[in-house]
Amino acid sequence: MSKAPDTFSRSFSMAELLVHALVIELEAVQSYKDLAVQMGQCGNNEVAGLFEKMSELEAGHAAKIREKAGDIELPELAPWEYRWAGLEPPENIDLAGIHYLMTPHHALRLALENEMNAMAFFEAAANGSTDQRIRSLAIDFAEDERQHVAWMEDWLAKYPEPDADWDYDPDPPAAID
Amino acid sequence: MSARVPRKLKASDYKSDTRPVWCPGCGDFHVLHSLTKAVAQIGLRPEEIAVISGIGCSSRIPAYLNSYGFHGVHGRALPLATGVKVARPDLTVICAGGDGDGFSIGGNHLLHACRRNIDITYIVMDNEVYGMTKGQPSPTTAPDWDSKIAPGGPGISPFYPLVIALASGANFVARAFSGDPNGTAQILVDAIRHPGFSFVQVLSPCVTFRPDQREWKKQVHPAPVTPTSDASQAARRVMTDDGFNIGVLYKGSRGPYWQTVGQEIRFDRNIEEEFLI
Repeated sequence: MSKAPDTFSRSFSMAELLVHALVIELEAVQSYKDLAVQMGQCGNNEVAGLFEKMSELEAGHAAKIREKAGDIELPELAPWEYRWAGLEPPENIDLAGIHYLMTPHHALRLALENEMNAMAFFEAAANGSTDQRIRSLAIDFAEDERQHVAWMEDWLAKYPEPDADWDYDPDPPAAID
Repeated sequence: MSARVPRKLKASDYKSDTRPVWCPGCGDFHVLHSLTKAVAQIGLRPEEIAVISGIGCSSRIPAYLNSYGFHGVHGRALPLATGVKVARPDLTVICAGGDGDGFSIGGNHLLHACRRNIDITYIVMDNEVYGMTKGQPSPTTAPDWDSKIAPGGPGISPFYPLVIALASGANFVARAFSGDPNGTAQILVDAIRHPGFSFVQVLSPCVTFRPDQREWKKQVHPAPVTPTSDASQAARRVMTDDGFNIGVLYKGSRGPYWQTVGQEIRFDRNIEEEFLI
């Protein structure tokens, strides 16, 4: 099993920090893209479109990180060698929060939570480093994530919390009569 | 003429263009990701892998990969995988399915696949329910799991797949959790590399019929022990744990089938010709 958060080491080399930052965004691109397909298959096109948009935004973030990395050779790590605070990169959507009838409000809440997790990850990386260059880069990344958090909050404000019966389905899949 | 250097494949290179039709939130999505990460890590090329399955939600997995694949009949994934491995020992054969397919209708095949110890990795995505057929209790369902189809619960003690696998001779036994895709990938790498029959039970929540399994994420924990090569010790550990210990539990040293019989099975060409169409 992946490392528990209490054993999470926050001390990164420059290349390690960059590869973690890049993989956070690349996995988020894939995660949102997969969710867009899943929601589309269930006819939840509004949320599918939103996840598609998220995927595009994350792809843009990944491109920016690649640009920052420049010529620095990034290490090839096995999936379990990454040092995440949880079981997955911080911007991967937790599948436990997914529902086929979820609304844009729910999707944006999950996305907001992810951006906050990413911000916390980079803040921890900055605090865990004694190297000024690495610390400065981690602070930059944390600031980027803080901006994403603000965007998500603005976006979320447009979608008020749905009624309590948002998951009511007159023909639920579990009905066996 | 310059030599062609094969590009290192990424996990996404192993996925086919067919989009999974699992329910949103299904744990099997993570198992698919873990498997592609594992084979990418080992460096296997898609044409070096055969993924064989039976019937059920999780058994759709061969369609979502661009390796060789065979979506067989209910409960018969292991005999099919055995046939593929015997005919093509050069392939890495991975068998996949669910708890209903593998432990109920295919239960007897599990015993003999473990006993034969052919070099196959068997991944069972265990959600303790028959999802595809709308939520009937499976062999791993708790006796008191109340549902519309089994009011009050099935009332029968569940099957302990890891103990059965150990008693039957599996050479590698592990439990993984789909919500830990990277940890699962690591276990799958280990399982695929280990010679002989490797059995990996992956706890993979069914969010539709077992929404209570969303809580598994909070219940799983790393197994507090290192893998043992003593099957009876591993069995005792499994029988007394809480069902949420995650990790490699047993690594045996029994030689795989080819070594046991002393030679590689060779096809009798005459028999093969008889079956030519």
